[in-house]
Amino acid sequence: MTTDSIPVRAADAPPETVRMKRGATPSGARRRRLFAHPRAGRQHHAGPLAYILLGIAALFSLFPLYWTMVAASTDNTRVTQTPPPFLPGPHLLENLGKAWQDAALGKAMLNSLIVAGVIALSTVLFATLAGFAFAKLRFKGRNILLMLVIGTMLVPPQLGVVPLFMMMTELGLGQKLPAVIFPTLVSAVGVFFMRQYLSEALPDELVEAGRVDGAHSLRIFWSIVLPIARPPMAVLFMITFVHAWNDFFWPFIVLDMSNPTVPVALTQLSAGYVRDQSLIMAGALLGTLPLLAMFIIFGRQIVGGIMQGAVKG
Amino acid sequence: MDKCRRTSRTRVAAAVSAVSALGLIVSCGGSDSGGTGGGKKDGTVTITMGLFGVMGFKETGLLDTYMKEHPNVVIKADVAGDEQTYYTALQTHLAAGSGLKDIQGIEIGRAKELSDTQQDKFVDLAGVAGTDHFLPWKQSQVTTADKKVIGLGTDIGPMAVCYRKDLFEQAGLPTDREEVAELWEGDWSKYVDAGKRFKQNSKADKVAFMDTSSGLFNAMIYGNSQQFYDKEGELIYATNPAVKDAWKLASEAATSGLTAKLRQFQPGWDPGLANGTFATAVCPAWMLAHISEKAGPANKGKWDVAKAPKGANWGGSFLGVMEKSPVKKEAQELVAWLTAPEQQAYLFKEIGNFPSSQTALGLPEVVDAKSDYFSGAPIGKIFGAAAQEIPDEQVLGRKDGTIKDIFSQGLTLIEAQNKSPEQAWKTTDKRIGKAVG
Amino acid sequence: MAISTSTPSDGAPGTAPSAGTGTGGDGQRRSTLLHRLDVRGAPYAFVAPFFVVFAAFSFYPLIYTSWISLHRVELSTLNLMEWVGFDNYTALWDDDRFWNALLNTITIGVLSTVPQLLMALGLAHLLNYRLRGSTFFRVAALTPYATSVGAAALVFTMLFERDFGMINWMLSLFGVENIDWENNKWAAQTAISSIVIWRWTGYNALLYLAAMQAIPRDRYEAAAIDGASRWQQFLMVTVPGIRSTIVFTIVLSTIGATQLFGEPLIFGQGPNGITGGADNQYQTLGLLLYEEGWKNYQMGRAATVAWAMFLLLIVVFVVQRVVQRVAARKA
Repeated sequence: MTTDSIPVRAADAPPETVRMKRGATPSGARRRRLFAHPRAGRQHHAGPLAYILLGIAALFSLFPLYWTMVAASTDNTRVTQTPPPFLPGPHLLENLGKAWQDAALGKAMLNSLIVAGVIALSTVLFATLAGFAFAKLRFKGRNILLMLVIGTMLVPPQLGVVPLFMMMTELGLGQKLPAVIFPTLVSAVGVFFMRQYLSEALPDELVEAGRVDGAHSLRIFWSIVLPIARPPMAVLFMITFVHAWNDFFWPFIVLDMSNPTVPVALTQLSAGYVRDQSLIMAGALLGTLPLLAMFIIFGRQIVGGIMQGAVKG
Repeated sequence: MDKCRRTSRTRVAAAVSAVSALGLIVSCGGSDSGGTGGGKKDGTVTITMGLFGVMGFKETGLLDTYMKEHPNVVIKADVAGDEQTYYTALQTHLAAGSGLKDIQGIEIGRAKELSDTQQDKFVDLAGVAGTDHFLPWKQSQVTTADKKVIGLGTDIGPMAVCYRKDLFEQAGLPTDREEVAELWEGDWSKYVDAGKRFKQNSKADKVAFMDTSSGLFNAMIYGNSQQFYDKEGELIYATNPAVKDAWKLASEAATSGLTAKLRQFQPGWDPGLANGTFATAVCPAWMLAHISEKAGPANKGKWDVAKAPKGANWGGSFLGVMEKSPVKKEAQELVAWLTAPEQQAYLFKEIGNFPSSQTALGLPEVVDAKSDYFSGAPIGKIFGAAAQEIPDEQVLGRKDGTIKDIFSQGLTLIEAQNKSPEQAWKTTDKRIGKAVG
Repeated sequence: MAISTSTPSDGAPGTAPSAGTGTGGDGQRRSTLLHRLDVRGAPYAFVAPFFVVFAAFSFYPLIYTSWISLHRVELSTLNLMEWVGFDNYTALWDDDRFWNALLNTITIGVLSTVPQLLMALGLAHLLNYRLRGSTFFRVAALTPYATSVGAAALVFTMLFERDFGMINWMLSLFGVENIDWENNKWAAQTAISSIVIWRWTGYNALLYLAAMQAIPRDRYEAAAIDGASRWQQFLMVTVPGIRSTIVFTIVLSTIGATQLFGEPLIFGQGPNGITGGADNQYQTLGLLLYEEGWKNYQMGRAATVAWAMFLLLIVVFVVQRVVQRVAARKA
């Protein structure tokens, strides 16, 4: 353990600090096990009861998604009968196709991809920049500014929707994607997360060496900080992406149906003149698929990332 | 180590350029700011439309027909499913002056508000050639105080009662549409009485007489020339006998368990149609297509249509052209064409939207229209007769649409939440106060 | 939140004396100047984006909200603001819908947060065993988190449907009459809470799991020597060991609960969504804000609701701090 240089009283420290302590190694080398603690956890083998309970929990987690697929693959008559269907029917592709058109999901997905992509990239970039400054650079007012960053976490952006809406309308950005992107270009949690990581994972000597070589701050950031910060940057990217993709309140207010993100487009399926239940479910399934695929491919990394840093918007 | 750094530097550079590239896409995506999306380029005219619900222009291929006849015209129509969402968006577009389409749909419940507060944003359609064929009251609804016409009528909603013959039969009620109409001729309270008879004698478990009491309420109030507002624009719903009577009868139906406690056009309603959990629905003409689609082929021939106790108009819309549009002339031509008698008759045949054009009402394909699905009912005659009974003057108010929704909710309070009619009225009254304030 | 801001040891690199010494010359001097400027200015440039964006899109709107709340502003005419003083506030205070929405926000908040965190705790405990297929169970637990509010609420709305929903069908197997989930107040709030619980339990469980794995094993060994059963170990070692994480998740869930919006909106379908049911039986403050602003088109009144939400958050935090302090004093 090489983290002893930073005094942290485990009981009082916030979870981030505790977790960061384990999450970071000064060399920046990737660890095999993301969350193993040499002397902790995993004390007992699981008994059959534990497996049964976990099985039930997994069932509860996955069943609604499975059933979405089932409902999306039947027709309207079957899905509204009792007992409800439990096995997939033959209409899946047909319904997916119709829902794709009805809810303009193609455009919505492209929009969501742009929104979530830009937000995630800029959040990561700005959080790493600021995190580096707060962790390793000395400047007047640093501590006060850092406290300010933390303080902003307590101000949920949703409270400003009314003036924000008026602002965007005045700027001519109503119903346009920048209106969704701008307010979430940065994240306080992200800044704090990167700061915690870098203050432990980035040795002062490396930065100093860079200075001796005559590198300016941006150069140091690019060639020394970024390589070391890559693992937490990836984590921050994935989590920010998921949150931005699923964000609802503000996009719902500022966008409309001609230019929606996925969650906004999905509301269109349930409101207004009734569509087939099976079509609604097909739309819900389509809207979920991209993130679901991401979770299937990167599940392990995302789980590891969430356990490393409690990032929740 | 050095190599590793260099790769990561390129990656960062790539990431940065990706951000800026995406930013570029984003800003380019919003290039139509201030405009309406329509325009002329290389001899092609692009016209954009904002529509809602099932107005049918896109769905029945009318727009395609128009484009075929006018090869230089491209029409782009956005259809919002939900009118409430549509109208909120329209309000913000009007306020911002951006995001508007060349042509915007106007629901009857919003007609007054738009012609009172936003008339300068709409083109005056009073002089457009070949548009003197509408029912007189229809066009008066979108005519401003200084005789400006902000929209052309699409459809109207004359009402009848749709009923299930098989369910009537097992309850010992007549099934022939003439006899059924006689059951409640001239008085909506007889319709409720028939419901009580149905309830007493029905052997079918869990089958209600009607879907919801708010259908009955709407049918009753829209048979009068004044509902929530008077001609001066004052709110009179609290004292208007038409509203009071409708409320009383609708709440009586609700408290006597005659309703299936469903909300029209919400998900539980469809399966109700398919599974036959209610025997009647008060149905404006435009609802027929919906019923036949959702009740499905299995129920073909089980439904029929009978004349309603009193004529009334529920719903109907308009198409307006925006003053900002760069293709005003072309848009006006399109609107005039879409609302012309032939097209209205076509829409009636295809999806049941009943013509607001007097000329169309006389066309044989309207007069002689029969519905196979509804046991061959002569829907042209039934709804045509109902249309004649619609009061010649209909007073609209600014918040008509919103108030109608609040009343529907008020009736749900009685129907599904066991509130007393007095309590529900009080709540409704308060909510209207908030909504118009 | 007690977040430590421990800083790196003093000889931080920024103060390191500038490196290039030796030969003088003009170019050298200029580069020294540039270097100094860089060392002084770069940190501010690095943190600036965050503060600029925050100021423009969070702080300024928050302040401006209070200004708007003192006016009458309609959605269709946003540039016309009519000064009304505190009228919006007194009207809100006298409005049953506000108190109803406040109460609903609190009850749905409790209904969704308490079971969610308790279940997350249990799940984390299970995941903390030495497991075969632990990755599968973890990913499975987190899958709902990948589902957007829209999709989740649509699915659950259908499962909770009165006439043909899966849940009523299952209950009917036990002889329970069909429940009108939408119209019955507590049923509706339970159904909405279940959407929240479904989406967030796995996420919280992973946070707890991470904290549990940091508990040194010797604490368990010591407890075992003292004769503590597994259950007692859980209560006396595990729970205190992850206390700070528990507090953290409570804070986050509370913030989430005060702003609940999408779930009830979609659950209600159409006009009932915005009003939170025909009787406002599940209208939250978030929905009330939306109704005032985007259905009644009164932006001033919507801003007033936003401020009320902000005050609620502050009250919750103060209460939480007080409780925490009292608890700490007792311990």
